[in-house]
Amino acid sequence: MRRHLYSTPLAGLLAAAASAAPTSAQDLTSVTQIVERANLAAYYAGDDGRARVHMTITDAQGRERARDFVILRRDVTDGGDQDYVVLFSRPADVRNTVFLVKKHVGSDDDRWLYLPGLDLVRRIAAGDKRTSFVGSHFVYEDVSGRGLSEDRHELLETTATHYVLENTPVDSGAQEFAHWTVWIDKATLLPTRMDYVDEAGEVYRRIEALEVEDVGGQPTVTRMRASDLRSGGQTVSEFSDIEYDLGIPEDVFTERTLRNPPRRWLSVR
Amino acid sequence: MSLGVCDALASWSRCALSRRAEKPGRMRAMAARLVTASSIVAAFATPASAQDVELHGFVDFGAGARVVDDPLQPDDLLLSEARFQLDLAHYGERAELALKTDFTWDGVADRADVDVRQATIDLRAWDWLDVRAGRQVLTWGTGDLVFLNDLFPKDFVSFFIGRDDEYLKAPANALRLTFYTPLVNLDVVATPVFEPDRSITGERISFFDPGSGQLVSAYSAPDMPEPERPARTLRNGELAARLFRTVAGYELALYGYAGFTKQPTARDEPDGPPRHSRLGVYGASARGTLLGGIGYVETAYYDGADDVGDSPFVLNSQWRGLAGYERELLPDFTGGFQYYVEHVLDYDRLVAGSPAPDFEPSKTRHVVTTRLTYRLLQQTLTASLFGFVSPNDGDVHLRPGVSYDWSDALRLTAGANVMLGDDPTFFGQLEPATNVYLRARYSF
Repeated sequence: MRRHLYSTPLAGLLAAAASAAPTSAQDLTSVTQIVERANLAAYYAGDDGRARVHMTITDAQGRERARDFVILRRDVTDGGDQDYVVLFSRPADVRNTVFLVKKHVGSDDDRWLYLPGLDLVRRIAAGDKRTSFVGSHFVYEDVSGRGLSEDRHELLETTATHYVLENTPVDSGAQEFAHWTVWIDKATLLPTRMDYVDEAGEVYRRIEALEVEDVGGQPTVTRMRASDLRSGGQTVSEFSDIEYDLGIPEDVFTERTLRNPPRRWLSVR
Repeated sequence: MSLGVCDALASWSRCALSRRAEKPGRMRAMAARLVTASSIVAAFATPASAQDVELHGFVDFGAGARVVDDPLQPDDLLLSEARFQLDLAHYGERAELALKTDFTWDGVADRADVDVRQATIDLRAWDWLDVRAGRQVLTWGTGDLVFLNDLFPKDFVSFFIGRDDEYLKAPANALRLTFYTPLVNLDVVATPVFEPDRSITGERISFFDPGSGQLVSAYSAPDMPEPERPARTLRNGELAARLFRTVAGYELALYGYAGFTKQPTARDEPDGPPRHSRLGVYGASARGTLLGGIGYVETAYYDGADDVGDSPFVLNSQWRGLAGYERELLPDFTGGFQYYVEHVLDYDRLVAGSPAPDFEPSKTRHVVTTRLTYRLLQQTLTASLFGFVSPNDGDVHLRPGVSYDWSDALRLTAGANVMLGDDPTFFGQLEPATNVYLRARYSF
């Protein structure tokens, strides 16, 4: 009897493992594991990286605006803190504006902006993570990632190709959505679609990966779109000249770079 | 120590007011600038570097007029200008060249001008040192339109008549060295020839003259003596330094300045020409995240040339302090608040020695500022309001503005500069210059 009680859970686990193996060897069932691996795939490829980004912002009337910048990233710890530098080259009036972010998981990011016309180093408040990034339909949080602990994650469905998760903010008043649904590709673990749902249950905002390429062994989104489903406006971001593991030194991500951007790391003009 | 109202002035400037700008030599100076500019353009155009030169710039048209009567001024037009900025840059691995030149037609003064905003070479050949040599705009310190330890030249005419905010900063011919060490970083800026602020001179904008106790302009008082600049010797240059370091996200800095008052606030005799008296400034600042926003504090000690405070014509020493906070209040709506205080030392002796004690500044001037910014329509429309209010002197300066990005290239701006208060106060004396303006800028 005692032996029976003792052995049942163990047997159950073994049975579960045995039954899982033949159906789908790769399927992840732990929500935490899925979101952590998707976060690593989307935001932590390599130890550092560089890309040239071209954004096309289209408003509801079809008018287009463009943003061009080079982005550098360095991971302080995998899945943890990161540093970013963004150097703008277009439009002309923001040319040579530099944006520096020290992303802290679990506390406020440190963010600086350098305005070359005034030789002014501005400090930017970290509170506005849900604010539009340079007038596009992407928000700051889309660029550098949303903290995993800010949402409760629930695995809704595992399809043949995707994990579908619903994410509900822990602090319901801190953002404009009630919850968001993410489709994570099972093969690459990259999020390929995110639907943001308002209090009324309407999907009002969508982010989609339009193209994924292999860059040095890292599956990488090279074209993505953010759509405002209410207004009809959208922004498409195209990434080029992507490189990982360049060995960008830590001191590139300091105030020195704001005033004097190191062309060695940023010269993909 | 003080010229009365000039020293009653707000925060960000000692005194935006001085006597008339010098006119003799203008053409010669302009010609010299043209020669400098064209020789640098020529250097850019050498075959080796021509293909690496980036060319940008803008065309800017501005028009603005006073909305309050100023009987001392012949013209209600304050801004009527076309500005063409040509911006050339060459980015090398170890050196960068930049030349930013403004060609302007000023319809109010009825004259063309060339203003070289930047002509620099940047050297980045060393791990521990950055060098920027040449004509450049420089800024440091934590304040928003409030400057304590930033003694780099400012252009107050531009600030009050509706030019773009970036024209508040004027360029200087300087050498900037930035040293980087693991422990702390050091900026040293040497300006061999003293570069004063571009002050209000009585042309366009009238100001209060404590000597006569009334508002004056270049037209009502054409015999105002010209300000005297320090002799062009190395000893009369300016030296500014900043020791800085970021600790756990908090930016800490110590500052020092040795030079002259940026405005000609001193005099040797009551009717003599205004001049720049010796000035030393020592200060400190800290800035970091605070309650979801950005908080900062800064202080500065102004060591005036009048140590004992008994000369009414030379700047007394002062303490200045600033505390500020900025955060997003609602999505796309940001609020910034600052409290600034300026305290004159040896005040009793200043008043006792003053020929016009009624027009001397308050012993302590308090200023509160607010910046509200609201961005709409995918950040293409920006509405903003910057306000200065001095609760003890009772003067106010409001800067409402709206700008719309018609496209990536074309920006339209409308705004106003509202000044209110009694005459001897800093903003109050500028009340007759209260204006509205429009600007259109096409960037390329």
